Amino acid sequence: MIKYIKNIITGIISLCEGLSVTLKHVFRKPITLQYPEQKPDLQLRYRGRLVMPVDPEKNDIRCTACMICAKVCPNHSILEIEKVIEDGKPKPKAKKYIYNLGTCMFCNLCVEACPFAAIIMSDEYALANEDKEKLILELVSEKYNLTGKKLNWWKSKFKDETINKEKVQK
Amino acid sequence: MELIKDILYNTDKILKDFYNWAYKLWSSFNLPFFILDIVFYLLITLAVAAFLVFNALFIIYYDRKVAAKFQVRYGPNRVGYKGILQTVADTIKLLIKEDINADKVDKIVFFLAPFLVFIPSFLVFLVIPFGKGLIPADLNIGILYVLAITGLSVLGILSAGWASNNKYSLIGGMRSAAQIISYEIPMVLVILSVLLLSGSLKMGDIINAQSSISKWFIFVQPIGFILFLIAGNAEINRAPFDLPEAESELVSGFITEYSAMKFAFFFLAEYTNLFLTSAIATTLFLGGWQGPFLPPFVWFIIKTYLVITLLMWFRWTFPRIRVDHLMEFSWKYLTPIAFVNLIATAILVKFI
Repeated sequence: MIKYIKNIITGIISLCEGLSVTLKHVFRKPITLQYPEQKPDLQLRYRGRLVMPVDPEKNDIRCTACMICAKVCPNHSILEIEKVIEDGKPKPKAKKYIYNLGTCMFCNLCVEACPFAAIIMSDEYALANEDKEKLILELVSEKYNLTGKKLNWWKSKFKDETINKEKVQK
Repeated sequence: MELIKDILYNTDKILKDFYNWAYKLWSSFNLPFFILDIVFYLLITLAVAAFLVFNALFIIYYDRKVAAKFQVRYGPNRVGYKGILQTVADTIKLLIKEDINADKVDKIVFFLAPFLVFIPSFLVFLVIPFGKGLIPADLNIGILYVLAITGLSVLGILSAGWASNNKYSLIGGMRSAAQIISYEIPMVLVILSVLLLSGSLKMGDIINAQSSISKWFIFVQPIGFILFLIAGNAEINRAPFDLPEAESELVSGFITEYSAMKFAFFFLAEYTNLFLTSAIATTLFLGGWQGPFLPPFVWFIIKTYLVITLLMWFRWTFPRIRVDHLMEFSWKYLTPIAFVNLIATAILVKFI
């Protein structure tokens, strides 16, 4: 009999505890992101599509057309890199950089392999398209400009490297 | 101005005057009076049906909004102002959907089951006092009628489960039958202890017995109110007692095979039952439509929606209980407590 009454009392107390927990949540601000109107605040390392940004200091791209990214790509998504030709000699600079978004699996290997930090995964994410042809992109002529945090983050990548190089030379 | 005030506050008088006026007009035509009565009954039925449908639409919207609040999100907010037309859109979608009948169902019973579920909850509206004089029929056996009619809905659920020819549906229907029968007992006992205080089965008398706030039966019968909410919640198969349609165990219980209009009927019945349970709790424990300043009808709706919110709070807090625990809870805890409550009330009524 004592156990029975004890059961009832502990039951009521635990139920009230549950009710108070849910009641606290009622007064919280909703955490929903109203997507098409509000855009998510993406992380710096977010992997959107591949871009070749313009370095604002040189006002030019950083690519030297060394082909390492094309070799390292597991899906052969980087289709073709063409060098600039001046006076009949190829120069270390990309004229054409063709990238197939349709086969890209956003593994980030090309970005990691690039010795000059010339390419980076941007934060563009709504990439669906009704035409396959439109997924084959030419990155050099695009002259993509990074902005905000992502630009600073990208800059810090190659600035560290130049500092390191200077140290080695000294 | 006077007329509007009378319509809002003294609805019974206005209705009586209107009926007498119509009666006189009718007698000047020398036609039989039963036609007039039938027309009046049809008008009342139409009014109740219209109220029921729009109310169910609003409760579904309200339920989703409250659920969203408890889950720290916004809920429907795209269709109409703050998503108010969401349920209308859902209903239109359900109406124009294909009505699929599974191959081996028992056709007649399968067709009848949604109506068997819905009709009892529609019939109960006969004795729900919406306001002063706003009661379709103030029967002498009001609350007994409610208990008798709500007991019928188990027939519809059981036949839905049986006719679907599907093990999940059958288990759902069986569970529902067991649940409704065992939770009927504590509910009846609680209602009995209220009736001891009011001294009448008539809805009007029960409300008149609670003429001031201190006389509301919730303060005289606090345990009774809680027991009524628990048992009522189990009667209408809502979480945490939604075992007949437990999604994680039985797909969707007795509604599994239903689609389109029939499915809509089940949902209509479910939300109407939610409103009914709250309305009866309001009438029995919260003084019905009585209250200061605002019109009686508004007070009734406010109180009912408070109880609905309370039930939704329970729904989004407690996890679904196990089948054997369900039975244990009813027979070992609710029924004895209700009995003790009844006996204590009887003794108090007799000697004080």
